[in-house]
Amino acid sequence: MIFSALRNRSTPLYQFCLVLMLSLVLATAAQAQKPVDPTAAPNDFVQTVGNNALEVLRQEPAAQQGDLNRINQLVDKYVLPYVNLEKTTRLAAGRYWRQASAQQQKNLVEAFKGTLIRTYSGALSKVDEVSALQILPFRGDANADDVVVRSSISQRNGPAVGVDYRLEKTPQGWKIYDLNVEGIWLIQNYRNQFAQQINQNGIDGLIDALNRQNR
Amino acid sequence: MDNNTTRTETSARLSRVAPIVALTAFVAGCAHVPNPSPQDPWESYNRSMYQFNDAFDKALFKPIATGYKQLTPEPARTCIHNIFANMADLWSSVNSFLQGRGHDGVNMLGRVLFNSTMGLGGCIDVASMNGSKRIVNDFGVTLGVWGFEPGPYVVLPFLGSSTVRDGAGIGAMFAAGASSYTPVMAIDNIPLRNTILAVAAVDLRASLLDADDLVDRIALDRYSFIRDAYLQRRNALVKGNQVDPDNPYGTLPDYSDDDDLPDYSDDDEAPADQAAPPASGTAPATQ
Repeated sequence: MIFSALRNRSTPLYQFCLVLMLSLVLATAAQAQKPVDPTAAPNDFVQTVGNNALEVLRQEPAAQQGDLNRINQLVDKYVLPYVNLEKTTRLAAGRYWRQASAQQQKNLVEAFKGTLIRTYSGALSKVDEVSALQILPFRGDANADDVVVRSSISQRNGPAVGVDYRLEKTPQGWKIYDLNVEGIWLIQNYRNQFAQQINQNGIDGLIDALNRQNR
Repeated sequence: MDNNTTRTETSARLSRVAPIVALTAFVAGCAHVPNPSPQDPWESYNRSMYQFNDAFDKALFKPIATGYKQLTPEPARTCIHNIFANMADLWSSVNSFLQGRGHDGVNMLGRVLFNSTMGLGGCIDVASMNGSKRIVNDFGVTLGVWGFEPGPYVVLPFLGSSTVRDGAGIGAMFAAGASSYTPVMAIDNIPLRNTILAVAAVDLRASLLDADDLVDRIALDRYSFIRDAYLQRRNALVKGNQVDPDNPYGTLPDYSDDDDLPDYSDDDEAPADQAAPPASGTAPATQ
């Protein structure tokens, strides 16, 4: 009875089955890429961004083989939209930021972007050894505008790596602006290098040095 | 008699350090310091020693480690690495107890026991697979917990990044003959012992190859990058994972400008120091 109904494509039962199957396929696809809600709780926001990035990297054969160019492209697409590049660059430049012209500031952010992509890629390049991204319980004031989300990236063949994210609340929702891997903050680690380049060759010298590395 | 033997042993160990001291004096030439950092007053010497170490590494250690990585199957390498890491975990546990962090010490001891038995002598890191976290520790960290300041940054011959405090920690342990390699040093068969130590050194260098590549890709100046990363990491280890309920982000860096210039904040965004948690005064001063 049912089979004969299915064979006849115009019956309502057949159409119902078709819709059901289609929605199932869509549901599985949506599971791979969850929509990111920057206005969610900071922990949930980081978890979604991180899981999406890991999922995409796992599905890419090139990324699996450690193709850095491909990983950089994926990080640019899936992580960077949630990173406040301008703030990261401004804080790394410290007091020199105010000495830079608007054009220099723009160029500096653009030049530092490559370094930041490579840094975030470095944290994700061993994706085949990463088994899970676990977000640790939130500490501090949940209503603050400047928060830290702590996470632990477990590896298949070794101890978990502690990675913390520092986030700022913007009108568009949360944005990541600093990253800590095993006790080392990214911005803090660039402050001396930036100051050194600026003292030697000025802000344009720093932009040139960053661009040289991007090539 | 026993006392005499110990004294001779200690002085024999110290006499082995003498060529290194001589090398230090030799390398201490002058290098230009473009951007002096308060934590690195000996930067000129340090940069020279860094260059010496780097040249030595590129000529010897790195090629050996790269060859080892290419020739040894990955599971065997992981096994060897885990066995040495398990020995280091035991030493970390001892230091956690010395620091009065008994909870960490017990956890790490349990980790070592679990890995040594179920993990086949440490070969398989079953503890990590079951969610146990590794708390890295050494005597330099212990000295830090006891209240010793790190002092100036110093690049040691062959060993690399250190501070006066951490270097003293290494020296004290070397003289006392206690370290994570104590179980190996207890082996009477000298060729076997030396072989194990050599494998440990190669394993250590091989485990740093990926990090080394990453630093090449992202550092503007390798020397500064490694120095600042080392100082931050050591500071984080001394602070430990203890949480102060009044100041949950106790070790957050404070990115506000710390010079005496007036703050002409024309940015529409709040300066970082206002956004930072109230007790961030305890954070390390920005350099």
